[in-house]
Amino acid sequence: MSPCVKSLPAPVFTEAMEPAVRLAGLSKVFGTKVAVDHLDLTVRPGCLFGLLGPNGAGKTTTLSMATGLLRPDGGTAEVLGHDVWADPAAAKARIGVLPDGLRLFDRLSGRELLRYVGLLRRVPAATIADRSDQLLEALGLTADRDTLVVEYSAGMAKKIGLACALIHAPRLLVLDEPFEAVDPVSGEGIRSILRNFVAGGGTAVLSSHVMELVESLCDEVAVVARGRVLTSGSLDDVRQGESLQQRFLDLVGFRAVGEDTLTWLRSSSD
Amino acid sequence: MVALLVRLKLTLLRNSLRRSVWRTVGLVLAVAYALGLVLVGLAGLVALRYASDGLTGDVTVVAFALLSLGWLVMSVLVFGVDETVDPARFALLPVRSRELLPGLLAAGLVGVPGLATALLGLGLVLTWARTPLLTLVAVLAAPLGVLTCVLLSRAATSTLAGLLATRRFRDLAFVLLALFAVILAVGANLGSVVLGPDPQQLRATLALAGTVAAWTPFGWAWAVPADVARGAWAAAGVHLVLGLSLAAGLVRLWWHSLDEQLVSVSAAASGGSRVGGRGRVDRLFPDSPSGAIAARTLRYWRRDPRYLAGAVGFVIAPLAILITQLVNPAGGGGVAMLTPVLLAFFVGLSVGQDLSFDGTALWTHVSAGVSGADDRRGRVLSAVAVYGPLLLVLTVVAVGFTGRWALLPAVVGLSVAVALVGLGAGCVVGALWQWAAPPPGANPFQKGSSGGLPALLSVGVTLAATVLGSLPTVAVALGSAVLPWLGWLVVPVGAANGLVAVRLGISRGGRLLDRRWPEALSAVSEKSD
Repeated sequence: MSPCVKSLPAPVFTEAMEPAVRLAGLSKVFGTKVAVDHLDLTVRPGCLFGLLGPNGAGKTTTLSMATGLLRPDGGTAEVLGHDVWADPAAAKARIGVLPDGLRLFDRLSGRELLRYVGLLRRVPAATIADRSDQLLEALGLTADRDTLVVEYSAGMAKKIGLACALIHAPRLLVLDEPFEAVDPVSGEGIRSILRNFVAGGGTAVLSSHVMELVESLCDEVAVVARGRVLTSGSLDDVRQGESLQQRFLDLVGFRAVGEDTLTWLRSSSD
Repeated sequence: MVALLVRLKLTLLRNSLRRSVWRTVGLVLAVAYALGLVLVGLAGLVALRYASDGLTGDVTVVAFALLSLGWLVMSVLVFGVDETVDPARFALLPVRSRELLPGLLAAGLVGVPGLATALLGLGLVLTWARTPLLTLVAVLAAPLGVLTCVLLSRAATSTLAGLLATRRFRDLAFVLLALFAVILAVGANLGSVVLGPDPQQLRATLALAGTVAAWTPFGWAWAVPADVARGAWAAAGVHLVLGLSLAAGLVRLWWHSLDEQLVSVSAAASGGSRVGGRGRVDRLFPDSPSGAIAARTLRYWRRDPRYLAGAVGFVIAPLAILITQLVNPAGGGGVAMLTPVLLAFFVGLSVGQDLSFDGTALWTHVSAGVSGADDRRGRVLSAVAVYGPLLLVLTVVAVGFTGRWALLPAVVGLSVAVALVGLGAGCVVGALWQWAAPPPGANPFQKGSSGGLPALLSVGVTLAATVLGSLPTVAVALGSAVLPWLGWLVVPVGAANGLVAVRLGISRGGRLLDRRWPEALSAVSEKSD
């Protein structure tokens, strides 16, 4: 969305100048609970975007609607210029997704799962074999590649999920809580994969509630609460000179526990 | 502590009912069924008051020993039904096993199986209330028997908890349960054929069974009143001592393992099952989305117990009929020749429930933008790869044993038509209705595993559509009974009939799925808890 791009001849660069993600008026109601409330969000291509929000803010619902997994009640979702709900095939071909809380086909081994996802996305078998060896190596899963995914630990399952999201070389990565249950060493591996991916022209959107992680990794962030975007922009714009943690608490509205409450928790009262 | 745990059990039961209307209906049905069985049992026990002491003794000892055995087997295989039982849940609380034990025991009695057993125990007292002495003995023995039932299940599940929690055992238990059903179905059939209607022989068999059952641990407590009625005081004394020591031993065993479990939380070690690097399964199908889905589903037939249990379920009826017919060939084998058609009739159901079995893992297909037709085609291919050989074997066995070669073309044509039409119907029905099935390895009897209305619709509509869609072939097959030369026409007609239906099913079902992929994903991920 930088101003200089707009002056370039449109037909040649349509995809480059399109936002990676554009959500407009996106809404979803579950029963009586409004999960996402007319949410607007734009993600610039080529950036690492962090979606922040407290539990139940609607992060997962928003990402599900943006990736074609959950039909919105209203609003539009565009990915790299393709409407996710009008032309799902074109949009889905460009996205790699790592959802949170959904199962994998876990009675396959790690390698079988990668081959499965690759074939579903019509990647040639030889390419799949080549890429999956590299991905398994980069994520430290080579030793467990022939173990059934159902036996994997939570962190390993996250990593094989990430590998599945990358196997077809997508232009956009949408990752829901990619660092949850992942140990620090593997976490660093994932970070470097994401940085390389963005350096190569890809766009990554990830949700998290670990502020330090988002602060050290992302270029741009948005804070979501009660189904709406409270603020969005570059890291510095959002922080406004404070730490991201403090700014987040201010935005979401945190009430500190006073000195007088929970006094019985003090050891001396025992 | 006792009141607290019983209240916990009741609260859990009430909350599980609040979750959905279907669950309430399910529980009401379960209670009605159990109540029906208990009423039949009670009526039988009251009727036994008019029988001789010897017969009453044999019947009650055999029946109640089987009841005790059922407690042991079912609680081991269906581990996890009772949420209050799992002592691991109490590991973080500062309680001792001595405090927990009576409460857990009482909680075990609350609930449908516990109450049903207690009622039957009361029935035993009724039937033995013949003399004051016998009444007194029964009043003492029946509670001991009921208590032993609960203790057996608790001691076994908590001693084996580590083993029962492993994935391998749960998979195995699932298949064992399905096999158990087959053996019951086939065994009942065979039993009625072999034993025959000779009352003399039946009584002798019963007496033998009664004696054997009385000396197994499952029959010790139940045998005491029967011994007293026979006047066998020594046997009664030995049975009583054995029964009491069994109960005491079980309490000690349970107590000991409870102690262990309260300190070590997760005993379940992961087995780490590894699979071969390059599968032959992959080479069976082309490197395309539908080929990948076919290969994956075929792997699941081996690795996901739900598929195996489902196949066992489909094979029960044809196999039971075939075996009964072979043992007692009264009808000249005509019925046996129809068993492949019967199996073919159920083939479509597997495709109809495939999406629901995938569960939330289905997101992979939605996110990859798999076309509905590719998805349907892949699932049809794997069903053909599994049921095709099975049908062939069944046909060869049936014709080999009955020697009715003249019926072969009609049977082959009908099986092919019915199986393929069923798959076509399953393609459309599977795209229309999905439900949240319990994931692989989860307890099959757990809350909400039945799938409710969508599952019923799925089965009913698939079977009805299979019948209607196969009518052309059925007509020709019936015609061949009158005009034998028509028999050879059944094969090409059946093949054409089936192929048209399966193509139609794949394209129609595929288009339907293309429109409602996200809805299908929502339907299978509906949280049941």
